[in-house]
Amino acid sequence: MNKTKLLDLIAQHTREVLSGLETHPFVAADRLADLGANSVDRAEIAMLVQESLNISIPRVELFGPKNIGELADLFLQKLDAA
Amino acid sequence: MLPKTVVTGVGVIAATGQGKAAFTTALLEGKHAFGVMRRPGRQLQSSYIGAEIGEITFSPDITQRTLRASSLSAQAALVVLQEAWSEARLSDVDPCRIGLIVGGSNVQQRELAQMHETYRESPAFLRPTYGLSFMDSDLCGFCTSQFGIHGLAYTVGGASASGQLAIIQAAQAVLMKQVDVCIALGALMDLSHWECRGLRALGAMGSDRFGDQPALACRPFDRDHDGFIFGECCGAVVIESGESCDRRGVKPYATLRGWGIVMDGNRNPDPSLEGETQAIQKALGTAGLSPSQIDYVNPHGTGSFAGDETELKALRSCGFTRPYLNATKSLIGHGLSAAGTVEVITTLLQMQAGRLHPTRNLENPIDSTMNWVTNKPVDHLIENALTLSMGFGGINTALCWQHHHQA
Repeated sequence: MNKTKLLDLIAQHTREVLSGLETHPFVAADRLADLGANSVDRAEIAMLVQESLNISIPRVELFGPKNIGELADLFLQKLDAA
Repeated sequence: MLPKTVVTGVGVIAATGQGKAAFTTALLEGKHAFGVMRRPGRQLQSSYIGAEIGEITFSPDITQRTLRASSLSAQAALVVLQEAWSEARLSDVDPCRIGLIVGGSNVQQRELAQMHETYRESPAFLRPTYGLSFMDSDLCGFCTSQFGIHGLAYTVGGASASGQLAIIQAAQAVLMKQVDVCIALGALMDLSHWECRGLRALGAMGSDRFGDQPALACRPFDRDHDGFIFGECCGAVVIESGESCDRRGVKPYATLRGWGIVMDGNRNPDPSLEGETQAIQKALGTAGLSPSQIDYVNPHGTGSFAGDETELKALRSCGFTRPYLNATKSLIGHGLSAAGTVEVITTLLQMQAGRLHPTRNLENPIDSTMNWVTNKPVDHLIENALTLSMGFGGINTALCWQHHHQA
């Protein structure tokens, strides 16, 4: 799993939870809140990614990332440690 | 007499049709949709009979995002509320003066059971939204958010009388002037195989007799009845003060003249002649109507041995002789939490159509002296109607309705 693939996975689950992003070109600097995700949506997206990767991350650590690039980095770091 | 409260809009969905037009056509044609239920999570080593809603049609403004985050009960609520909202022109009403009462408790059991099943082996990945959706009051949040309702909203539970209870509670909120308009929603009860098994084990749900003939299983008031048959449905009734209705120039369906709620002081499912009789008498009393003025009764009529028998005895003991009776559940099944609301809607739609729907499978009525609408519809202009609901735990409710021409 590399960062591009992780960003694709985050994009896939973000499209699943939110509407109207079918053609949005996701980039690392995208912030979920700016894409229209409220706190419940963000929790839902993060959980779907964890489920896809079969990795569980404490919720408190998920507050850190400021955009989907940083979120992807966090997942990569956890995958490496696993 | 109570200050005037009227119905200015309704919305409905059942297995036989979505929306008033399709639903009414199916009712008057005596259509049904009973079969062995197929919705995921409805069967486990079983073949329960029921009536399930097909694909729901949503208006184009409902996004995929909204639908993904909504249960079957929420989706049904959405379409019936939209229909009732538009008919009553609620976009013209101050959102702070609109309320919503959701009738039903524990209505999303199948969705919850499915979620438990999915995450049994991997609980760490349980969807965060489960923390919202396991509560019935999520329906209040979902609906008030979709429609921008800023008055009051809460749930009321009274087992199979929940739908009528929601209407009573909505009327009370209007009479107390907490709001000018209050929508009563009979929530879709989404049973899982667990509830079906419990209801069968209790002897409430049929059908031992017609297990391999689903079309014959649901037969309220017929000698061969052996319990209720489940049917998914959902309805919304807009209750509005007469004053607000006159001011806005909306044409009402009917006036809610009165109601009664009586408890039997009995936790169990068995009905009570005294409780039902008293609820009917209370409703007539507040309505200022005599039994002879009621020309149509929409009974609870589930198809249970004791329930059907007791209900007819209660009607007789109250002195009803003239009214027509039919059994809506014979066509759409028993919606449990939604039943009371959907059957009120059925009554109002028949009032509007000047026609009464047939009763399916009423071949040998347990009491042939009643004025039944049997296998064919009957042309009849309802002036005053009585609608009845009873629920487990000894709750009895009765409502009196008057055609708006007479109001």
